[in-house]
Amino acid sequence: MAVDPRIIELINADIDGEISSDDKQELAAALAANPAAQAMHAELTGLSGSLNELPDLDPPVHLKHTIMAAIPKSEAQQRRTNVIQAIFASPPMRYAAMFALGSLITMTLISSDQASNSAFNDVTGLVGTISSEVPVGPGIHSARIDRPEVAGRVSLRSSGPLLIVDFDLVSSRPVEIVATYADQTVWFNGFAQLESPGASISAESGRVTMQVEGKRRYALFLHNAGERKVSINLEFQADGKVVYDTAVQYTQPGDSGG
Amino acid sequence: MDRPDDKTLMERCLKGDRRAFEALLVKYEKPVYNAAYRMLHNREDARDVTQTVFLKVYENLDQYNPAHRFFSWVYRIALNESINWLKKSGRQEALEHEAADQGGGPEQQANDQQLGEGMEAALMMINSDYRAVIVLKHVLGCSYIEISEVLDIPEKTVKSRLYTARQQLQERLTEQGLH
Repeated sequence: MAVDPRIIELINADIDGEISSDDKQELAAALAANPAAQAMHAELTGLSGSLNELPDLDPPVHLKHTIMAAIPKSEAQQRRTNVIQAIFASPPMRYAAMFALGSLITMTLISSDQASNSAFNDVTGLVGTISSEVPVGPGIHSARIDRPEVAGRVSLRSSGPLLIVDFDLVSSRPVEIVATYADQTVWFNGFAQLESPGASISAESGRVTMQVEGKRRYALFLHNAGERKVSINLEFQADGKVVYDTAVQYTQPGDSGG
Repeated sequence: MDRPDDKTLMERCLKGDRRAFEALLVKYEKPVYNAAYRMLHNREDARDVTQTVFLKVYENLDQYNPAHRFFSWVYRIALNESINWLKKSGRQEALEHEAADQGGGPEQQANDQQLGEGMEAALMMINSDYRAVIVLKHVLGCSYIEISEVLDIPEKTVKSRLYTARQQLQERLTEQGLH
């Protein structure tokens, strides 16, 4: 038995929850009289249920922050940014800034009495560029951050005595990251950045401070002479207040970390 | 404390309040991302489309017509961007083949896939205009009148598109041995 177009419309309205009480009664009578209409109703109800049960996906944690970082700032914020961009716009100024940053780090290393030949051998350039994605796998400890002020991932990996802390972050406003480590045999060994103009970093014994604004990829290099278990505490501060803190750990291969 | 409604947030956005825009982003990021994902069946593309949608919203705040509800404007941009993305990347045809090629025969399909996965594949096999009404109804939970507002088509057309879309989905599921 064929199903009347009017009844098909009522069946669809019923499964969509958009049927009036009068139409509902009309549909009930039609279903009772027509097995084909009953079968159609059952099929469409099942189909609709399956569609409603398609899982909801969470957007990537970075997305909101990436969008906020991409939209134009207010005029006052834009003026501040423009001044910084103007300073770094010309190649001589950029090279001067990079040289100054490298010098600052070198002086910091020397003044903190942490420099050693082996440390410099590990990283050819103290300020450089990272080109590869942060791998995720065994031996890498990572922490996810999802705060309104800053979001992304910090990962710690090792290569011999070198510890590499990768920061892949997006911030909605200026955020200061303070990385501290208690082990005196660990020393600051370098810093690299990917497409991140205007990076700012300072290092002292057991403490490295970096600034983040917008989308940033940084790598922080630490020399772990004894290749011992190390915990690096990370504090994220916005407007002088700690908005998030976490830690990443290095454990020797085979060490469960206790 | 009551959260400000979309209209209030939009008014604040138009005055340059980034926080108001962020509040709208927080509210609509997930539905827009899910709509884009169901239209494109690819997480990276859904992410990029979502980003484009909100940047377009921000750039065109002054063109927003307060006579319409904010969500209908955002959803319309999301669906148009998704369809444009498919056209630009030439993926619509590829998606149909990809979905049609999944699995061996009906038996293997039934063994390998849950009905939900089969449904996802079937959804990608129907025309994007039909997929859009399914996404609006079943992913975003819009009523007939809301779908009509988003797509700017008469309510009667919404009903007929939904019916045709469901028929086509049933046929695809039957072809996969899942219905």
